Amino acid sequence: MSRNTGDARPGSAASRPDGEGKAPGVVRPFLLTEGRVVAPGAELPMETQVVATTEGLHQLGALAFERRAIVEACGTPQSLAELAVRLGLHLNVVRVLAGDLRAGRFLTVHEPRAAISTDVDVLRRVINGLRAIPTAAGRA
Amino acid sequence: MDFVAGSRTRPEPAPAPMPVKMVIAGGFGVGKTTAVAAVSDVPPLTTEAAITEVAAGVDDISLTPDKTTTTVAMDFGSVMLDPTLKLYLFGTPGQDRFGFMWDDVTEGALGALVVVDSRRLEDCFPAVDYFERRTMPFAVAVNRFAGAVPHPLDAVREALDVESEVPVIEFDARDSESVRDSLIIVLELALARAMAAA
Repeated sequence: MSRNTGDARPGSAASRPDGEGKAPGVVRPFLLTEGRVVAPGAELPMETQVVATTEGLHQLGALAFERRAIVEACGTPQSLAELAVRLGLHLNVVRVLAGDLRAGRFLTVHEPRAAISTDVDVLRRVINGLRAIPTAAGRA
Repeated sequence: MDFVAGSRTRPEPAPAPMPVKMVIAGGFGVGKTTAVAAVSDVPPLTTEAAITEVAAGVDDISLTPDKTTTTVAMDFGSVMLDPTLKLYLFGTPGQDRFGFMWDDVTEGALGALVVVDSRRLEDCFPAVDYFERRTMPFAVAVNRFAGAVPHPLDAVREALDVESEVPVIEFDARDSESVRDSLIIVLELALARAMAAA
């Protein structure tokens, strides 16, 4: 069997471990964004960090429901992906609402740096950081 | 500075770390989530990611004339490498009759580890094809299920027909040291490429 022979395409269509049929919430997700979606290609990367501003945390009363929950949760910096999971919201809904909350200065949004994946200094830092993490052998 | 900041003030809440990410790809049940869990600081979370499906099969092409966007469940974890640097690990599902575009997940990733069960090698073909096309640094990691790797790595490399610079390694998805070392192998390839390009 070889990957580059014509018939070697993965054949079994049946078992796809996707989340189909799993309702993301009681409310249809894009009611929360008044039907707005992020333009394809303009999405913030899902690891983008979101942090509440001091003003945002002081003005929680001005917000309701999901928007308030987002700002509250962002007292600790976290990614859009983590935020979506913690609040049980669709990732793309969080993207739209985080954009609104940034415009309202409730949040700051820290996008990953462009071209980070070819940044020699960043790559070295990640390698060194990984070498230093406690592993099972170290913990035992 | 490291970020394109979204606001003018320094918030009192803790400053955000610089996020970096890597992708752990492979077929269903191959050990992706296990590998994420082995090194993540927190138990893996499950989110739904948008993927674009491009019809690549011969059947049903009339039903998917172009491409469609769908969502798939995806597990991810994170490792705080230092107070200012957080590594995210995204496990992307990959067994399908469709070609995949995981751009939503892979955009900006430092590299990818393609996890392989050598008894079901074909399950990783879409992932290998994808990362080759994207010219993203990746390594093929054959998961050592219950001890033995049933096929020698040379045979795996030959069957996958990957370029000689692509590492084909053996690892244990349950073992944090093994997963960590595999990620470092991917990053060293990424570093070598970045230095060659500089």
